[in-house]
Amino acid sequence: MAMLKGNLSPFLFAIPTKSRIPTASLTTSTALLHQPTVCENASMTTTVPPLPIPSPPTSVYVHLPFCRKRCHYCDFPIIALGSSHNQLPEHDNNDPRISNYIHVIRREIEATKPRSPTGPPLKTVFFGGGTPSLVPPPMVWSVLETLRSKFGLCPDAEISIEMDPGTFDERKLRELKELGVNRVSLGVQAFQEELLRACGRAHGVNEVLEAIDIVGRCEIGNWSMDLISSLPHQTPEMWEESLRLAVGAQPTHVSVYDLQVEQGTKFGQWYKPGEFPLPSETQSAKFYKMASEMLSKAGFNHYEISSYCKNGYECKHNLSYWLNKSFYGFGLGSASYMSGVRFSRPKKLKEYMGYVQSLEDGLADGQHHDKHVDAKDMAMDVVMLSLRMARGLDVKEFTRTFGKSLAFSLYGVFKPYVESGHVIALDEKGRLLTANEFNSLASNGCEVDDMVAFIRLSDPDGFLLSNELIATAFSVMSP
Amino acid sequence: MGYLRRASKSFIKSRNLSILSAFSAYGPSTFDIRSRFAYCTHSRQNNRESPIDLSQYPPERIRNFSIIAHVDHGKSTLADRLLELTGTIKRGHGQPQYLDKLQVERERGITVKAQTATMFYRNTFSSPNVKDTEESPTFLLNLIDTPGHVDFSYEVSRSLAACQGALLVVDAAQGVQAQTVANFYLAFESNLTIIPIINKIDQPTADPDRVKAQLKSMFDLDPNDTLLTSAKTGQGLEYVLPAVIERIPSPPGKFDSSLRMLLLDSYYDEYKGVICHVAVVDGALRKGDKIASAATNQVYDVLDVGIMHPELTPTGVLFTGQVGYVVSGMRSTKEARVGDTLYHAKSVVEPLLGFKPAKHMVFSGLYPADGSDFDALNHAIERLTCNDASVSVTKESSTALGLGFRCGFLGLLHMDVFHQRLEQEYGACVISTIPTVPYIFEYSDGSKVKVQNPAALASNPGKSVTKCWEPSVIATIIIPSEYVGPIITLCSERRGEQLEYSFIDSQRAFMKYRLPLREIVVDFYNELKSITSGYASFDYEDAEYQISDLVKLDILLNGQPVDAMATIVHKLKAQRIGRELVDKLKKFIDRQMFEITIQAAIGSKVIARETISAMRKNVLAKCYGGDVSRKRKLLEKQKEGKKRMKRVGSVDIPQEAFHELLKVSGNK
Repeated sequence: MAMLKGNLSPFLFAIPTKSRIPTASLTTSTALLHQPTVCENASMTTTVPPLPIPSPPTSVYVHLPFCRKRCHYCDFPIIALGSSHNQLPEHDNNDPRISNYIHVIRREIEATKPRSPTGPPLKTVFFGGGTPSLVPPPMVWSVLETLRSKFGLCPDAEISIEMDPGTFDERKLRELKELGVNRVSLGVQAFQEELLRACGRAHGVNEVLEAIDIVGRCEIGNWSMDLISSLPHQTPEMWEESLRLAVGAQPTHVSVYDLQVEQGTKFGQWYKPGEFPLPSETQSAKFYKMASEMLSKAGFNHYEISSYCKNGYECKHNLSYWLNKSFYGFGLGSASYMSGVRFSRPKKLKEYMGYVQSLEDGLADGQHHDKHVDAKDMAMDVVMLSLRMARGLDVKEFTRTFGKSLAFSLYGVFKPYVESGHVIALDEKGRLLTANEFNSLASNGCEVDDMVAFIRLSDPDGFLLSNELIATAFSVMSP
Repeated sequence: MGYLRRASKSFIKSRNLSILSAFSAYGPSTFDIRSRFAYCTHSRQNNRESPIDLSQYPPERIRNFSIIAHVDHGKSTLADRLLELTGTIKRGHGQPQYLDKLQVERERGITVKAQTATMFYRNTFSSPNVKDTEESPTFLLNLIDTPGHVDFSYEVSRSLAACQGALLVVDAAQGVQAQTVANFYLAFESNLTIIPIINKIDQPTADPDRVKAQLKSMFDLDPNDTLLTSAKTGQGLEYVLPAVIERIPSPPGKFDSSLRMLLLDSYYDEYKGVICHVAVVDGALRKGDKIASAATNQVYDVLDVGIMHPELTPTGVLFTGQVGYVVSGMRSTKEARVGDTLYHAKSVVEPLLGFKPAKHMVFSGLYPADGSDFDALNHAIERLTCNDASVSVTKESSTALGLGFRCGFLGLLHMDVFHQRLEQEYGACVISTIPTVPYIFEYSDGSKVKVQNPAALASNPGKSVTKCWEPSVIATIIIPSEYVGPIITLCSERRGEQLEYSFIDSQRAFMKYRLPLREIVVDFYNELKSITSGYASFDYEDAEYQISDLVKLDILLNGQPVDAMATIVHKLKAQRIGRELVDKLKKFIDRQMFEITIQAAIGSKVIARETISAMRKNVLAKCYGGDVSRKRKLLEKQKEGKKRMKRVGSVDIPQEAFHELLKVSGNK
């Protein structure tokens, strides 16, 4: 636990631990200093260590798919309960669709073999959806209890739940808090009635304000607000207002999502990215920069592409994703990552229930031990995930795990972007390398690369083009 | 029975191959090069049948002829019917498939590669006096199929060299078309006997009398000599072969002279090696003979000899006037020079008149779409040129595209066909540079250069160009009269000079233009077709070089000239083409991390400029929870997209951009 906390501190991010370089590779490199190609080959064969055995998961994602209705932008596996579903808490208990699902998800948890019988207790649990706040607290509790008895639960584990305005009252939130939920992620999305309507949200601005009020009254000390930028008809003024009101609500964490128009959604049918009524690419980039600027000014750290937090309030659960750590996933369509293997559960309820049955019958274990774990594949995941974070890619650790040549090829491909300021290279002391320094490292090769400790994308310019930059990195890692 | 079925299938297939491969730019078609080789795979079976005794066929019992026609006038169907009529292939087999394909590819139903088939025909019909059919003689007929399109007139002329006559097939409704004219003159100049056939008389719109009148007025062909047929219904077909026997002279060779044979064509067979198609002009050729090439003086052993009936059918011998194949242990088709004279080693003969070597009129650079595929492309081109020796290939390198080839083609269709065969038969993915024609530049110091690659022409040579020349063509255009106006406009836009303008009849106009070859290289035919709703027919022949005012147009990306995009254009058109090229590039190059400037320049003078502003945003700021695979897939897709780009300096250029540049003609 202490270690995890340490990792989370942004201060410590900048000061990486001292690394030990294998002597063998060092000699090889020096000897072949003037033959970069040979050197690359040599390091490829001499310094790629075996993949580390992944540590057992200490994080759990639980998917609670119920929503009153599907939002126009959403392509997640959800179950829409329809307008007949009464949002008042006393009626929740009656919906058999929810209680049946909770029953199945508990069966799934029960049927899952823990990675090791004496494995560490869980450090984070995340109830995501869907709209988990539609699930009656006793049922949330029953899932949590199942998890606790199966895997163990740290006393100070981060237990998050996503909640939508209009789906909970003070009593419900207090109940959740009592049963152990200590972090709330509030799906506000926008502060403008017309935008909420345009998204097909099931709540209005009044419900948003009320929800913020409830969270305050319940003294939830760790809570996050979700906002979406680049919504149809959204103006810079509206976005500025949303950001201002978000800051005013004093959450400890803000997630700012940039609208993705997905195929198969209503937005996908209606709109094309960059075309009216959606903001232009330039406008949309401006929204991103506005968020970065305003939230930073308000004391938030932009610690991940779409995440901002007050000091020490990173979402530990999400960090486990970005640090490429193992995690369990339970429920419809949820993804898990264990023993280096990613697995997504069926997205259709019937198929998911069949999957749980086969899990109980011992026909599936949801872990796919037999799957071959490819080092290059894992390296690409590490690059993709770590470049999403302000911390960036820990070059030393990356080199230790995946070998010098892969790290070196990244230098080569990022050279022009260090020069343009999209990519930032830091040395061990956290000092920014100049483009010239980086260039000479990238072209001289093997020996001097010890100088680079971290490579990260700049905020906001590098983050804004992260797909392009990561895809560029991919193109040299897996040509 | 079994044999015949196989035979007919493979024949149809191999014919389809040659026909389909011509469709190229106008829609994909699939076929398999191996079907061509199917020709020889069953030949051994023949040995079990009664062997064919060719000694029964002296020249007077031999007729060598071809069928010439405009596209889609029914040449291939007629050929099939004749093969069926003589029992060479089994009636009806493979036919439905063939027709389907023809329909799909109606616009470009043409033959590219000459094919030959030998038929045996007992002429009962035309000998009413001979009551006992056993006494009527059997004739050996060689049908030599020819490509219809002007680009392949090289193939046509060498096919015709082995013939003494030709069936000129004209559609009863469409009448005389541009390729009818071109092919007529090719046959006429080869002194062939021409049998006019008006085909498709079963069509409701057939007007054979009008076509007869056209044939009379255009070619002075006697209406009384014209046969009327429908290859589809079979009507009138019984008159065709008797006319061949009666009207076409037998081959003129000397039976008792020493062997001379003309090498008509060659292709490579994986099992047998190089297979040469030959016409024995004098003497006889036997298996086991030693033969020599007049061109290379190489000597070969004749390992196998026979006829195409329609597959390779060994006969062990070929006599004067006969057409067949020879397998002689040649290792590459490059040794088999089409038009070469082959003769008995150690004998002394006068070489036969060969053909004009293929003249390459259109050049373009071919590069692997992915730089690492050079070896694969090299292999594919080597293999393909084994069967199409008329393409010239030299290696070249481009700073933008890496290692590639400069290929010379007989014409545009030839180029298209080559590209398509590369892609379809060999799975090669190619980027082609803007096609160019061979220009000649003369400098102030008196030196002259022939430029087949615009990149090779220095943008700032340090000496002035005093004169330049460009190749021209004489184009024949036949169109319904109502389109005369727009076509005259099109031709003058293309710097054409009208040479002739007349009417074939009340509905059809006939025009001759001298046009710079450069002007028809790019989409002239398409324009012509679209202006006339597909009713124009067009053909051209090479004409002399003419003085012109040419400049080199460079395309620069971020200030760096892209050699593969350079082009040579007429000075008056430079502005328009430059603008069009720049606009096209702007449209097809996506925003990138940095701003991109696109310029068109003549020397150091920029004549068009556009900028593509830097990409503003490309980020996945969305909560996928732990669904890392989904993010990963998205980025992998993006990476694959990059892979399909050509990186020039710091700019990623999608392959479509190169393809689009090919279409720029400067006539918008």
